[in-house]
Amino acid sequence: MSGTASAVDQVTAALARVEASDARINAFTAVLAERALARAAAVDASGASDTVLPLRGLPFAVKNLFDLQGLATLAGSKIERDAAPATRDAVLVRRLEAAGAVCVGALNMDEYAYGFTTENTHYGATHNPHDTTRISGGSSGGSAAAVAAGQVPLTLGSDTNGSIRVPASLCGVFGLKPTYGRLPRTGSYPFVASLDHLGPFARSAAELAAAYDAMQGRDAEDPAQVARPVEATVTALPRGAGGLRIGVLGGWFRSMALPPARAAVDRCAAALGATEEVLWPEVDRARTAAFLITNAEGAALHLHDLQRRADDFDPHTRDRFLAGALLPAAWVQHAQRVRHWFARQVAQSFGQWDVLLAPATPCTAPGIGTEWIEINGHRMPARASMGLLTQPVSCIGLPVATVPLWGLDPAAPHLPIGVQVIAAPWREDLCLRVAHALQTAGVVSAPVAKLN
Amino acid sequence: MGVSLDMEAYVDAQCALLGLTLSAAQRPGVLRYMQLVAGMAPRVMDFCLTPADESGNTFVPVAAPASDDAP
Repeated sequence: MSGTASAVDQVTAALARVEASDARINAFTAVLAERALARAAAVDASGASDTVLPLRGLPFAVKNLFDLQGLATLAGSKIERDAAPATRDAVLVRRLEAAGAVCVGALNMDEYAYGFTTENTHYGATHNPHDTTRISGGSSGGSAAAVAAGQVPLTLGSDTNGSIRVPASLCGVFGLKPTYGRLPRTGSYPFVASLDHLGPFARSAAELAAAYDAMQGRDAEDPAQVARPVEATVTALPRGAGGLRIGVLGGWFRSMALPPARAAVDRCAAALGATEEVLWPEVDRARTAAFLITNAEGAALHLHDLQRRADDFDPHTRDRFLAGALLPAAWVQHAQRVRHWFARQVAQSFGQWDVLLAPATPCTAPGIGTEWIEINGHRMPARASMGLLTQPVSCIGLPVATVPLWGLDPAAPHLPIGVQVIAAPWREDLCLRVAHALQTAGVVSAPVAKLN
Repeated sequence: MGVSLDMEAYVDAQCALLGLTLSAAQRPGVLRYMQLVAGMAPRVMDFCLTPADESGNTFVPVAAPASDDAP
């Protein structure tokens, strides 16, 4: 995974790429050169085997809602600049570094993860490396853009309603949202605890799998983590997609997607021999349930600051947080029950199917500042609509690998678009096997942006 | 119009209850967003569920620290 270069050489090269490119991308909010070089030197000096350090020297960076010792955990906000510096790294950062990877910095995001575009008023927009006039997607926009720009080969982000899958789609990289409750969130700033997931971005399914395997395992401090054994995926990748029952999600997942997004799914389906359409019931209600839960639970978390310093919030999030604090409790409770009803219906479909395909975003990356988009005759708010196809899936915690395709938008052939590879709970191995098979077949890829 | 007036009254009452003060700059956005959410909520609230359709959210009791004195 880490090649033959020393850890110090890998980290030095990553720091140089960040230095050379970040003025155009704005992915990083903090670069930890001194810390990274010291840790890289320690990795090189350790003499440990590749079995002990499977990610030896691999530079990585994390969305700035992950705790990094000595830094205030910003979560994209101005308010958290006043917070005390973190006293230790987040659990997932510690686990990656225990496997030999080296953290080089913190990455931009939508404020408190409430957005799909990373147009952050406090820290500036993160630009899509494949077209810097366009959004990177969000809320983990810095995480996707840093990989797409070749600044680092691995990043971490969070996904509550699509915040790994949307930027992975728009920036043309691989992303993994594991099953809800799989990876511990200890030491990360929450958005909506009942929906929050953490996961990696990379330029290959194999790198995703290696990072994911290194991060598995119980941490008792996350009350939502489910006690599961470590279920390694790297060794499963060579099994490919053969023998898997693969379907294509229809209904909402077709009607809310523009032609390039549908074409991306069709191309993957053709490569995998998937011909049958699968319909989930009441998808729009599930998406609405996720919307209500997010709005109310996210707002309640910040009520203290909304009471005292609302104008310190980003204008993109402020009024939504204020409104979310006012929702009737019955709406939110009923939404939680609808969510679970939907999960039970969808579980039935996985008795017949191993993997289901769906678009990750309705369209390729819009321009920065875009307010409205049209989806099959309906004028829709651009920012919220980026999550139309991801929210119903994360709402019920299913694992998803997002894979990038190219050249499907005639109006913007240089832009990527992603496909969600979805499996039943706890079957991340199947998502990654299919992603790896598609990459091996040349259907999906994540080239570094040219940054002209 | 009636819905709009009702929403303003609702927002004002809820803000008073929660200790929130909306500035002139915040008020239009909050009202606009509340109207949007109120328009979406029936998609959830109109869906009939039975009392057996629980949320699935479960509270897991937290174990006490291990102790040599435990019975």
